[in-house]
Amino acid sequence: MVTLLNMVIGGLLLGGLYALIAMGLTLQYGVARVLNISHGEFIMLGGMTTWTLYTVFGINPLVCLAICGPIAFVLGFGIHRVLFRRLQASAPSQGAFESSSMLASFGLLFIIQNLASIAWGTEIRAYTYLAIPVHLAGAVFQANRLVALGCAVAIGVAFYIFVARTRMGKAIRAAAQDPATAGLMGVNINSVLALCFGLGAAMAGAAGVLISMIYPVHVVMGMPYTVIAMIVVALGGLGSIPGSFIGGFVLGLVGSIVAYMDPGLSLVAYYGIFILLLLVRPTGIMGR
Amino acid sequence: MLEISNIDTYYGKAQALWDVSLSVDEGEIVALVGSNGAGKTTLLKTLSGVLRPASGTVTFLGQRIDGLAPHSIVEMGISHIPEGRRLFTQMSVGENLEMGAYVHAAWKRREETLDQVHEIFPVLKERQGQLASTLSGGEQQMVAMGRGLMSRPRLCLFDEPSYGLAPMLVTEIFRVIQDLRNQGMTVLLVEQNVRQSLEIADRACVLENGRIALAGECEALLEEELVKKAYLGL
Repeated sequence: MVTLLNMVIGGLLLGGLYALIAMGLTLQYGVARVLNISHGEFIMLGGMTTWTLYTVFGINPLVCLAICGPIAFVLGFGIHRVLFRRLQASAPSQGAFESSSMLASFGLLFIIQNLASIAWGTEIRAYTYLAIPVHLAGAVFQANRLVALGCAVAIGVAFYIFVARTRMGKAIRAAAQDPATAGLMGVNINSVLALCFGLGAAMAGAAGVLISMIYPVHVVMGMPYTVIAMIVVALGGLGSIPGSFIGGFVLGLVGSIVAYMDPGLSLVAYYGIFILLLLVRPTGIMGR
Repeated sequence: MLEISNIDTYYGKAQALWDVSLSVDEGEIVALVGSNGAGKTTLLKTLSGVLRPASGTVTFLGQRIDGLAPHSIVEMGISHIPEGRRLFTQMSVGENLEMGAYVHAAWKRREETLDQVHEIFPVLKERQGQLASTLSGGEQQMVAMGRGLMSRPRLCLFDEPSYGLAPMLVTEIFRVIQDLRNQGMTVLLVEQNVRQSLEIADRACVLENGRIALAGECEALLEEELVKKAYLGL
């Protein structure tokens, strides 16, 4: 019973991070239509920056959240403005844009990764923060994992409310459903797409900060997270914020249960679910 | 109010409009009729900024608007109610209407405007919380028109508002357009329902193969042989 509880809590802790990462990607792919292969690189940048800020300057990782999130946003917004917006303007069709933007994001992955390895080197970096054991219903967890989950959920809920309630949030939903008609309503579609790409990058950056509190970080850590984000987005339904949340927790639980049996099998299980899903319900849990 | 001069518009390499000129005066209903593929929708899309004319000019209230992005044109007071309704189907009726008031000036007065829209289409008040996709065709058209009015436009571009509706609803939609004009709205109306649109319009213009074939007062057009034969089945 205790081990099962252990696995479930462990899964929820992991799931929160997955949900946050996937929410970022669902914005970039579901609204801005960029299947951003370099999504994980923004996670890496968040993690590496936090490592530097904490070990060199002694800045609390939770403060880093407020630094890395906005920086990643500006970076993402800028990249959309100078790169993806131009690709979109010159693409003959939406399909052509989706493939060219994916290839461009591949290029972005290498650029960011190489610049990061010049800046930080290729060593594995780690720091200890809030590594205090917390007893939770008979199971023991480190406090930093609980803090990370709390932050991820808080960001997710705040974003959900933003999208559901505010004028700009509604414009994002309208743009996701029908960009041309949203334009006729007075929505500046290019700005909204850049905003979504920036918000997606900010979520990745924030996730990177949270991940660095728990796990070691290094310059090639990004790709596995990109893959996980894609699986969660497919699982939850493309473009659905609640879907990303549910999908993230589902995958976290599966990962935690499989890892308990054999840690080497969790990626296999993720792909297994992914393939099964594509066969049974290709639109995802919340998909339309 | 709206001055269209010598417009050429292309879809990619295919030319869809040839040298189209047309003017709409304040407080008028101008009907734009023609068969499928004649370029009516293309002309509206050119006016609302979805398409850019390759040559020619569009002037609204004395300002050039050709080449502006759609969102800037809405801000200037032109509302394009697109063909096929194009509702945000995953949003409620209320949210669809709210989206119509997205531009800043209209957003501030959205509650007041919403009351006016509910007065025109009372059923939308009852349907407020319902998903737009669950409405009947007629109700969806009302949402589309209400949403278009939410930006508090001075000129409305209606694209086939009566398409696919039962005869009673068609009459209702035409009545609403007439009422809007009586309250000071200027209307450019694209319709396949030629007889009814010529009845409510002041002037009309027949598009054929991307060119203006005929233009003039409605009474005169109703007597034209071309209109009688091609559109009224006489």
